[in-house]
Amino acid sequence: MQSINEIPVHVLSPDEMLTGQAEAVLSEISDLLGRLLATGEAGSIDLRSLPLSPADRDWLDEKLGRGEVEIALEAGGRSDLHETAYAGVWKVTHRDTEERVVAEFIEVAYVPAILRPASADIEQAHERLQASLKQNS
Amino acid sequence: MDEEETLLEHMQREGMSRRTFLKYCASLASLMALPPTAAAAMAEALGKAKRPSVIWLPFQECTGCTESVTRSHTPSIEGMIFNMISLDYHETLMAAAGHQAEAALHNAMKDNYGKYVLIVDGSVATGLDGAYSCIAGRSNLDLLKEAAPGAAAIVALGTCASFGGIPKAKPNPTGAVAVSDIIKDKPIVNISGCPPIPVVITGVLAHYLTFGTLPELDALGRPKAFYGETIHDRCYRRPFYDQGKFAKTFDDEGARKGWCLFELGCKGPVTYNACATTKWNDSTSFPIESGHGCIGCSEPDFWDAGGFYKALSTPANPLKYVGAAAAIGVAAGAAVSVANRASKNAAKAAHEKTELPDLEK
Repeated sequence: MQSINEIPVHVLSPDEMLTGQAEAVLSEISDLLGRLLATGEAGSIDLRSLPLSPADRDWLDEKLGRGEVEIALEAGGRSDLHETAYAGVWKVTHRDTEERVVAEFIEVAYVPAILRPASADIEQAHERLQASLKQNS
Repeated sequence: MDEEETLLEHMQREGMSRRTFLKYCASLASLMALPPTAAAAMAEALGKAKRPSVIWLPFQECTGCTESVTRSHTPSIEGMIFNMISLDYHETLMAAAGHQAEAALHNAMKDNYGKYVLIVDGSVATGLDGAYSCIAGRSNLDLLKEAAPGAAAIVALGTCASFGGIPKAKPNPTGAVAVSDIIKDKPIVNISGCPPIPVVITGVLAHYLTFGTLPELDALGRPKAFYGETIHDRCYRRPFYDQGKFAKTFDDEGARKGWCLFELGCKGPVTYNACATTKWNDSTSFPIESGHGCIGCSEPDFWDAGGFYKALSTPANPLKYVGAAAAIGVAAGAAVSVANRASKNAAKAAHEKTELPDLEK
């Protein structure tokens, strides 16, 4: 080896890293959508627990596409939730305060569960708002 | 913190929203291999839990386990471990030293007798009556025997505490043994790995707080949620193994294409850990993703298992074959031995210098 420039660099095409596993995920999503329609029961796939190569993930993202809804959730770091091109199929990416991805899900639901505020929190909000109104009057 | 305050109340008082807590539970459920839909139930139980007292004893160790847990935390999800527990004694982290530190240890033990969680990292030296490793003039062996009876459960953190680890590697000059070799009458969870994955300890504590019990353990005392599957089974290169596509040297075409590292000595097929899913360095990657095989650091006696660069089918005791990998491994055994020799010769022909793999074979 004479110099660093002689080290051959070979850039892989994405196809070379495709394992075919993402296709299985796609059919699971389809099953979950069917269940959501039939029973109203939401489903979820934990993407980080699956042995997908980076190319598999890109393939899946491309297949699912992006829909009309994009939501940014600021709660202990930013989370991105967006509806895919398929209604009812959501991609949810949770990040911590240092922007590291801590969880990644495909959620099959009318609306992702985390968006719905808890009754206790609404109760508290109501009280706070009333107190604020009283103060102003 | 108020003793009656629950975890959720404590977190909310510190300005954390319910959604942040839900997010935290979702990521924990993911790590613990619980179904994603379990996050809500978990959030409910965990929210009501009270913080347990934790006593952390460092024995014959390199502090790598503490580094692993603490370096990754600020102020991430794993960092919430410090909200979940009351860490009453940890020599490396506590401000107190000398007699004050010892007093803190004894007070925590007395006040929480029967209820505290004891975390041990490092092996226990038994040679010369334990004289090889002492704290405040007392041997690790003594300290462990004193702290264990009052513990509700013991967590052996890292391969040293779990199985003896590197101190126990041949010829084991200090007579190092695992915590479970000394303590026989307490529930012990082994969180092996050199170092262990930081979120695994958060997961075990979260499980303890959520369900009030220790998680289900495998035959070696490790939580199945994290050690239930091999690195190989969760490896993104696994499909290449199934297709018979292997890297033969670290710089051949197969290596560049990201093929399976089995023939380069990867111990993924016999190593149970969660690296392939939780990953390392802020979830950047894990060793195989960086092009190096797994060295099997979460298994007993990994240091004496016969060479990191030897393909598994050459006998690599005491690591053993399991399940499907066994059948394939045995069948491929002779072939890979030949492959080892062949690749050595090929490497010799291709390189002017002798490289690491050449020395191993």
